[in-house]
Amino acid sequence: MNTVVLAFTMILLTVILYFVMNAVYVRLRSPFLVPILTTNIAVIVLLSLFDASYETYMVGGKWIDALLGPAIVSLCIPLYKQRDVIKMNVLPIFGGVVVGGIVGMLTGVLAARWVGFSTELLASILPKSITSPIAMQIAAELGGIPSLATVFVIIAGLAGILMGPWINRWFKIDTAIGQGIGLGVGAHAIGTSKSLEYGEQTSSMSSVAMTLSAIIGAFAGPLFGIWLFP
Amino acid sequence: MKIVITLLQVGFLYILFLTGKFLHAKLSIPLPGSIIGLLVLWGLLSIKIIPLRWVEKGAYVFLSTLPLYLIPATVGVMDYGHVFAGKGSLLILITIGSTFITMVVASLVSQFMAKHNVKEEGTLS
Repeated sequence: MNTVVLAFTMILLTVILYFVMNAVYVRLRSPFLVPILTTNIAVIVLLSLFDASYETYMVGGKWIDALLGPAIVSLCIPLYKQRDVIKMNVLPIFGGVVVGGIVGMLTGVLAARWVGFSTELLASILPKSITSPIAMQIAAELGGIPSLATVFVIIAGLAGILMGPWINRWFKIDTAIGQGIGLGVGAHAIGTSKSLEYGEQTSSMSSVAMTLSAIIGAFAGPLFGIWLFP
Repeated sequence: MKIVITLLQVGFLYILFLTGKFLHAKLSIPLPGSIIGLLVLWGLLSIKIIPLRWVEKGAYVFLSTLPLYLIPATVGVMDYGHVFAGKGSLLILITIGSTFITMVVASLVSQFMAKHNVKEEGTLS
């Protein structure tokens, strides 16, 4: 197929599926129907049916992917609008992000090591709760596989938005700061995209948590790895 | 006219992202360009070089459809089925379990500290 036609088809496919899945989600509001998950599954199923590879998909997919950068920049807006709330809660934010971040790296790696997975896999799973560009850097530095690190980041993100509502109920997380920090620390950008549903305060907390995790992770991740698998 | 303004703002946000990418490459800051762009925009808004209304409409376009831009990357999972076959399926369970603990701890710590913050200072609404 002509590249332009192919690219256009893949873009259209993704956009249409996304809006359909979004409409379904708005209608039924089941946490299992979050559009990012349902669209992802629908795209993969369709590609498999037509025997199309990820590489083929990305001929068009890369154009949508190119908009992720400015979309992340846009998260500055809820962040900036809520700056007073953030300033007032500097310590709780730092506390949640640092403690959560350490727990996130340790529990994943230690459990995987206990089961007996290779160092290559351990290094790939370590940065799973950090946004993918940084997770890839950390994994590469520790001898992991960057693209596999991205897969763990995505699984963590999708699992995080599915579990979020239950966690909030079971553990009585009833404040914007508690809910936002949980999503941002555990589920990075995917969690933050979900947090937008909860309103500006929660999404600003999630954005702060995601950004801080990325900054702290970029510096602390490699150190953790050196300590865990010398 | 409204749509032109919104599109200009979208373009401006894209330029901020490119600026972030440029700074990432030039100064080898170990953060992705998008996050550097976010911090640059925060700086520009804070020192009032840019008023919020210059970017707010464009940002809303991105924020209202944020999950869409994450999809191409997440579809990449399809190439890694083999890693999760057999014993590898435990990696999925570990990732989910660890994410659960991470979120619970992060939420509880921040919420607990915030409530104590309120009691001591009595400032948060």
